[in-house]
Amino acid sequence: MSDNPYKDGRGNKDASIANPKGTGTMSAHPGSGAAKNTGTAFLIGDSMTGGYGNGPDILHDCTVAVDAGEIAVIVGPNGAGKSTAMKAVFGMLNVRQGSVRLDGEDITDLSPQDRVAKGMGFVPQTSNIFTSLTVEENLEMGAFIRRDDFRDTMAQIYDLFPILKEKRRQAAGELSGGQRQQVAVGRALMTRPKVLMLDEPTAGVSPIVMDELFDRIIEVARTGIPILMVEQNARQALEIADKGYVLVQGANAFTGTGKELLADPEVRKSFLGG
Amino acid sequence: MDLLNAFVTLSNFVLIPAIAYGSQLALGALGVTLIYGILRFSNFAHGDTMAFGTMMTVLFTWLFQAWGVSLGPLPTALLALPFGILGCMALLLFTDRVVYKFYRAQKAKPVILVIVSLGVMFIMNGLVRFIIGPDDQRFADGERFIVSVGTFKEMTGLEEGLAIKTTQGITLITAMIVVAALFWFLNRTRTGKSMRAYSDNEDLALLSGINPERVVMITWLIVAALATVAGVLYGLDKSFKPFTYFQLLLPIFASAIVGGLGSPLGAIAGGFTIAFSEVMVTYAWKKVAGYALPESMAPDGLAQLLSTDYKFAVSFVILLIVLLFRPTGLFAGKSV
Repeated sequence: MSDNPYKDGRGNKDASIANPKGTGTMSAHPGSGAAKNTGTAFLIGDSMTGGYGNGPDILHDCTVAVDAGEIAVIVGPNGAGKSTAMKAVFGMLNVRQGSVRLDGEDITDLSPQDRVAKGMGFVPQTSNIFTSLTVEENLEMGAFIRRDDFRDTMAQIYDLFPILKEKRRQAAGELSGGQRQQVAVGRALMTRPKVLMLDEPTAGVSPIVMDELFDRIIEVARTGIPILMVEQNARQALEIADKGYVLVQGANAFTGTGKELLADPEVRKSFLGG
Repeated sequence: MDLLNAFVTLSNFVLIPAIAYGSQLALGALGVTLIYGILRFSNFAHGDTMAFGTMMTVLFTWLFQAWGVSLGPLPTALLALPFGILGCMALLLFTDRVVYKFYRAQKAKPVILVIVSLGVMFIMNGLVRFIIGPDDQRFADGERFIVSVGTFKEMTGLEEGLAIKTTQGITLITAMIVVAALFWFLNRTRTGKSMRAYSDNEDLALLSGINPERVVMITWLIVAALATVAGVLYGLDKSFKPFTYFQLLLPIFASAIVGGLGSPLGAIAGGFTIAFSEVMVTYAWKKVAGYALPESMAPDGLAQLLSTDYKFAVSFVILLIVLLFRPTGLFAGKSV
């Protein structure tokens, strides 16, 4: 029944030597030893297993979650399934097992569009803006599902990203990388989402722009929107993260607060370069 | 040397016909470019869509003429045009429902849709010939000229005359109204912007909650209107013959590609580029040269570069040059 040598009675049934009655078979410590404390999660992809189309599974029992008002960061080596986990949470992947819940409601079977209507905002990693439309039109398209007056939301976004207000009549494709990312985040914010998901918002921008983008992301989080994001720059991301998930080969490797992970010697050794 | 007469001759035989023809091509190319931008394939059935819309208009024109309804100096076809557009819209929506929708649901590659549109082309082609016959139909009525050669000569006292046909005037005015309305729609309205967004980035449009089926439906409606207007204007200006419309596909595609596929502004520029080159290369310059050059240099021959039979070749030479040196077209559309 088990590999534990201490449990092997070697077929001895002699009651005069040992009393077999009363030795219970139930044991304590059923846990995985990697509790993720997701009870309070606002958005959670819970034990997701799945892959693209009918292809092989990429995620294996992978859990990512973000609490209300917090920033959660998914980090890990290349090909660890970070973006895949994000797509699974957003419904762009066949999740064969596990569930996705938003504010306690199971949304596993909803299409990405329906999830947007439910209050999720998603910024893809690439082609995340309408390049031939102006900045303002990009924001308008972000608010396409809203039938009410969205001018105040647009004003808020211009407050958050002042450079966009300056360039609002320019085609978004003419902007620099960092400005494009701001357009992309702004577009996703136009629906007034209850949770924002960012897939590598700092990919391909210079370190200075990256710092600025992180500042902006913190500002967005301060407005009360929980943020779940995938990041390649693990150290910086974990510094601003309330919670971090280290994925390896589509499975959770380490989970903890950003500080815990930064302090964890094993995480440092394998992912943060010592 | 007589530059004034030279200019009048040039206007009469080159500028005015080319502007009218260019407007017609531009309207046709706009339809092609919209389908390319939104549905992402080159619609080979466009020429025959134009023929169908024009045929509907011709039938309604005859009906109105039989009823004795007319617009006075303007052609009755203008009155029949809205009904022709409605008929063409019905046909395109029906085609989309029974043919294209299936392939869209399969996420078929654009090249498959191109071949599908080829099949649709043959069916529409047959449908039009079946209903109205393969022959030439003239349906223009009302006043023939805004300015005729005789009145122009009387007014100005010049040797050369200048004629502006009513149909040419109508072509230019209608084309301007249609293009202005289209650009207003695409740039100012919520639906128009969502069409541009969908054309730009389909995935992100989906994520923004834009309904692709609605975008596609509106595109077909606009294309039906553009194709019918282009076809009727061409038919009024020349005549309506199903085979000519099938052939029009060639300069229309050349216009759309020269301008840059997917770019509405490019379609207009391309239309005029093709029209002017076709007319200028196939025009016999003897008369203009006779006025413009000193007598000693006046040409003996016709000074015609190519016979009019080769006018389609002109579109294709331009197309080739553009594809070789600027594959995205003049206005940087999609690379072809």
